[in-house]
Amino acid sequence: MAIENEIRRLRFNAGEMTQQALAERVGVTRQTIIAIEQNKYAPSLEAAFRIADAFGVALEEVFRWKKS
Amino acid sequence: MSFREKSAWVALITYAVVFGGYFLTLSQAWDESYAQGLSIGLLIGAVVALIIVAVVLNVVLALFHPKTANAPADERETAIDLKAERIASYTLSVGVVCLIGALLMGWNAYLVANLLLASLVIAELVKAVAQIVSFRVGA
Repeated sequence: MAIENEIRRLRFNAGEMTQQALAERVGVTRQTIIAIEQNKYAPSLEAAFRIADAFGVALEEVFRWKKS
Repeated sequence: MSFREKSAWVALITYAVVFGGYFLTLSQAWDESYAQGLSIGLLIGAVVALIIVAVVLNVVLALFHPKTANAPADERETAIDLKAERIASYTLSVGVVCLIGALLMGWNAYLVANLLLASLVIAELVKAVAQIVSFRVGA
């Protein structure tokens, strides 16, 4: 997938925030967070902003587009 | 495994068992004059069984997932549902078009009616499999 993310590192930096806790903040299921974190699913723009907001960082600090 | 993936497994197992039983029973007793009466009674029994099994299994599933059972689908689950519905609708369309051809070629109407029902069941099975595969591999 062309979109990569730093969610695992950001969860670690946020006191090892659990996937479930992040899912509840974003308003999706834990399975969706797992799929996003493993680059198996590209979230909508709104969900991407919610994830960035959950970590208190800018969107580009969470997601980056990998040119192929 | 998420609640919705388990729900897809419930649908897959329910349709496979109930309509597998229906079509197996019908095929073993297939005789054009006999099948007309048999298929109506069997079909009513299969539909009733489908409803009962689906309700019981979904209630049991909801008891194990009290928080997520009533939660609306998130964006990935919605995308997976739509993809699975699209694949299922293609499957059903192919079955219907083929069976219109069969009717025009003079196939027995009760046989065609049961094959239409089979198309509907296969489309539901394809939908459940597509959901499960999508939940497993991503979206």
